[in-house]
Amino acid sequence: MAANQSSEWRTVCEKLSLAQELSEVESRKDPENNPFRSKYKARDLLKEIHCSLKKNQIEEEGEADNEADCKCRQMVDEEPENDECGKSCSGDSPAGLRAARLAVVQYYLGLNHIETEELSAGEQHLMNCMKLIDKCTTTRENVSLFIQARNQLGILWAGRDEIEKAQGFLEIAESMYLLYMREDGQPPLDLQDFFVLEGEELSQQEKIRRFEMAYTHTLYYLAQVYKNLQQYERAGQYCHSTLQRQLEYKQFVPLEWAINAATLSQYYITKTRYMEARHCLAAASVIATLAGEIPSEAAAKESDAECEKREELLQKRAEIARCWINYCLNLMQDAKKLLEDNIGELDLDRQEELKRAHRNEEEENEKGRKSTILFGSSDTFDSICSLEEKVSSMLPLDFEEARSIFLVGQSYVVQAKEYFAMDGHVTDHIEILQDHSALFKVLAFFEQDLERRCKMHKRRVDMLEPVCKDLNAQYYLLICRQLQFELAETYYEMMDMKLAVADKQDQPDVHTIKKFNHLCSSSMNYYQMFLDSIRSPEGKFSEKLEDDLLRPALVAKFRVARLQSKFISSNLATQLENLTHSLESYNFVVQYCEENPEAKKAVETELELSIEMVSLLPLKINRIGSKIASCN
Amino acid sequence: MASSSVKVAVRVRPFNSREINRGAKCVIQMQDKSTCIINPKQPKEAPKNFTFDYSYWSHSSVKDPSFASQGKVYQDIGEEMLLHAFEGYNVCIFAYGQTGAGKSYTMMGKQDPGQQGIIPQMCEDLFRQTADNTDPDLSFSVEVSYMEIYCERVRDLLNPKSRGSLRVREHPIMGPYVEDLSKMAVTNYSDIADLMDTGNKARTVAATNMNETSSRSHAVFTILFAQHRHDNMTSLDTEKVSKISLVDLAGSERADSSGAKGMRLKEGANINKSLTTLGKVISALADMQGSKKRRSDFIPYRDSVLTWLLRENLGGNSRTAMIAALSPADINYEETLGTLRYADRAKQIKCNAVINEDPNARLVRELKEEVNRLKELLLSQGLSNRIAASGNVHISNSCLRSSQVDRETEKIIAELNETWEEKLRKTESIRQEREALLAEMGVSVKEDGGTVGVFSPKRTPHLVNLNEDPLMSECLIYYIKDGVTRVGQEDVDIRLSGQFIKELHCVFCSEVNENNEGESDHRAQCHTGAAGGDGGLELRTGRTAGETRH
Repeated sequence: MAANQSSEWRTVCEKLSLAQELSEVESRKDPENNPFRSKYKARDLLKEIHCSLKKNQIEEEGEADNEADCKCRQMVDEEPENDECGKSCSGDSPAGLRAARLAVVQYYLGLNHIETEELSAGEQHLMNCMKLIDKCTTTRENVSLFIQARNQLGILWAGRDEIEKAQGFLEIAESMYLLYMREDGQPPLDLQDFFVLEGEELSQQEKIRRFEMAYTHTLYYLAQVYKNLQQYERAGQYCHSTLQRQLEYKQFVPLEWAINAATLSQYYITKTRYMEARHCLAAASVIATLAGEIPSEAAAKESDAECEKREELLQKRAEIARCWINYCLNLMQDAKKLLEDNIGELDLDRQEELKRAHRNEEEENEKGRKSTILFGSSDTFDSICSLEEKVSSMLPLDFEEARSIFLVGQSYVVQAKEYFAMDGHVTDHIEILQDHSALFKVLAFFEQDLERRCKMHKRRVDMLEPVCKDLNAQYYLLICRQLQFELAETYYEMMDMKLAVADKQDQPDVHTIKKFNHLCSSSMNYYQMFLDSIRSPEGKFSEKLEDDLLRPALVAKFRVARLQSKFISSNLATQLENLTHSLESYNFVVQYCEENPEAKKAVETELELSIEMVSLLPLKINRIGSKIASCN
Repeated sequence: MASSSVKVAVRVRPFNSREINRGAKCVIQMQDKSTCIINPKQPKEAPKNFTFDYSYWSHSSVKDPSFASQGKVYQDIGEEMLLHAFEGYNVCIFAYGQTGAGKSYTMMGKQDPGQQGIIPQMCEDLFRQTADNTDPDLSFSVEVSYMEIYCERVRDLLNPKSRGSLRVREHPIMGPYVEDLSKMAVTNYSDIADLMDTGNKARTVAATNMNETSSRSHAVFTILFAQHRHDNMTSLDTEKVSKISLVDLAGSERADSSGAKGMRLKEGANINKSLTTLGKVISALADMQGSKKRRSDFIPYRDSVLTWLLRENLGGNSRTAMIAALSPADINYEETLGTLRYADRAKQIKCNAVINEDPNARLVRELKEEVNRLKELLLSQGLSNRIAASGNVHISNSCLRSSQVDRETEKIIAELNETWEEKLRKTESIRQEREALLAEMGVSVKEDGGTVGVFSPKRTPHLVNLNEDPLMSECLIYYIKDGVTRVGQEDVDIRLSGQFIKELHCVFCSEVNENNEGESDHRAQCHTGAAGGDGGLELRTGRTAGETRH
């Protein structure tokens, strides 16, 4: 390329780098009232370059045409008319190179127009670019340009709501990359390589980096296209590949990457793909450590920068821990769903059956999937794997398996709470406590011994009760309600269990009865607190419940009704009183649904039973009444 | 009424002079609470309809009977909010909409009479009401703060010296707060207006200095309103504090993060260029899946300060209103539609703090059993009044058993309900009332340890609970004499009455065996006439009637 060494060529190269400088750096300082000043300057330079290239081309081809008096502006905006490059023209032939060089300028012009909101003009330039190189075979020289131009066209069409068209451009870019890597695989020329002086070429590594980066973008854009087309499965897959490639080509910010991987794990959890979720989380934890040491408290006090870094690192790590908690919790809860009978108890037959059949099949299945999702460069791969081994990705089928997942979850609870302390992070802290409670709850499901199961629920009460008591409902009303409801349910659960235990005893002792009544009234108190929170400041119960409170409130009333009739008392008068209260509560549910027929759907079963009880309870009450009467 | 959902209003402004000059067409129509928007490019397409709590037609002039004035908007939204503030609730008004859609006119308005926006009207109203107060034990104080949120950073707009970003935090008792945010005490509206003005200036300066056009910048003006009351009776001071937050949410057109100025944020198909937004795409993906399932995902917050802000005003016991400002012009169709959609979503804005109750399956099953039992009872009552008359069947509080409810089971249940000690302890009073009755029935009221029946006699064999109704009889103690004790309807040692009691129902034989410790061991034999047989049974302490029956 002797010609390229001429001073004229030097000017072209300098212009291009100036244009890029203007477009990418200078433009940021443009004033608000003239936001595209630098971009326009860059555009002018690009047009000049295009002009001189065109002139060169004509000279080189020896076709001195009269039309070649080069009306630059006109030419640049017109479609290229040089047909001398036939379909069989090779991309690495001199003609191919010339075409590619012009195409690069068209590409930059296209970008420039898009960035200055002249979308149609931008599209035109990009199409010109495509036409120029479409005539040539795909080679090391033009493959990168090919992919980048298609990426831009993809974005452009997506912006016009023509998502299928965008998809077309991007999918061709994708297959072109794959084809090139299969057939050639050598580091291809970057766009910049067309405009460098000898000796200033990019290094091989830099060429690879830029090329792979362009393809990573293709995948990322496809992920968005699929998301917009509601093909979420594929979108997830492409996000995953994007993350993989970022790691592979070391094009990532550790903390950002880690959070993205952790977030992706949450997507996999919703898809019950636990092996993938676990891999994402393990990678997130490992990559997060690459973000550096957490500055000490002392260092944080010294400088604002250190303080911010410390805060950020602690926060992100705690967030990853929360993703882990969620993983453990969902894994156990999904297993519970699979194993429970129609009243939520462990179905032993089902357990046996699953233990026999499921396991091997599942493991084989996962091995097949595993190879495609692996993260990690050679230096992180081992740490990721060893972290993965600490927790199963299989649904636990018995207490031992559940317990080991529980313990991992619990350790992340401790970790997450360190950052999300009550003082300063009330909502997050309580959410973590709720997760911890949920972990205990699902573990209890796997526990067969009633006493021990009861103790697990007691742990839930112990962690939630103090918080519920201390929290200011003026600011945290919804959380308070959640906690009240959960505590009411937990006490109810414990009461049920105590009853089952007592049922097995010949002669239940005083203590058991006392305990039972205590659990009953605790449960009732929390339901009542919840119901009271719905009252107005004057203490009136809302005549019309809000949608999101409708079912909880009626269910709470229904449960209170049940609890009121469950109290064990020897005193007839007390019995009468309890049953009368119970009747009133059942009646409330029935009355409310009569006055608000739209509520019926929300509490169908409860309503049906309440109606029955309203008609039947008086019978029981009358009996006690007559007994009292007969005693006097 | 305790409601936590958001009141949503939209308001459309008149054309501005530029729009009039261009011959703009109005794409918004309103009727009562509903607002509809017509796509100017596809006029044949059905207009999109939205319903809000309020749709304010301010496109025309005062002469139009359907015209919504500043006063009207304040009456509907401002007055109610202020009332809540006096009640001690936290209140919040969000304003949202494209720049130039009339957000600040609705919130601030103009100085001219009748042109003032919600904020000045509310402040004046507040100070007027506090000035009217004649109660010497009631006093008020008002403080304000003003901050800006952009790019996850919080800046104090009233304190030029405040360094860097402030931290948002939550305290379990004091609620959400911004660390080190300055609070200025004010005594009238002009103080507030001055501070707002100062803050607004600080905001603009910051925006140009930092070239923050690509960020979302929200402004939050907060009025802390405290009512102190001194109670002369108890000489206690109480304080009721409510927070009035006025939030100016960033316009949608500034949300684009690609840096391309003026690029409009569109719904739907847009592709983010930069890989720095990968996180957004992934969270959206996880979020989309998660909506069906409860909290199955934890999405690390990207807009954590905004989340904090929304949580603060939607998660507590606060009253929240949102006003979306709409431009009527066809050229703004996209943005206006976006604003309407946003407002529509705001109706459903709830914190994720929903209540998820446990399944009721077990309870339902239990209760169905009880219902069946009671029905059987009802049926048997209909068939035979005998049972009803005797009061024999006691349906237990605790329903442990499934369908086979025989009397036996009920006995057991009854006993589960009561134990001796418990019964005796609880029912002293009842027993005293019945004393006379007992005596008449020939029941032994012999004292044991001084008090009647408080303790079960330890040394003498006895029967307890011989009434058919176990609950009636907790205090009945029948002593069994040495030798023979006869039980029956008449002419016996222990007299019982009831449907199934025979004339001579059964006989107890008691004999004493001396043992090593010198304590006597009583053994009694029971001949149960009821069962028709004459089987001998050895009794031990603690056996219940139910058990001895067989």
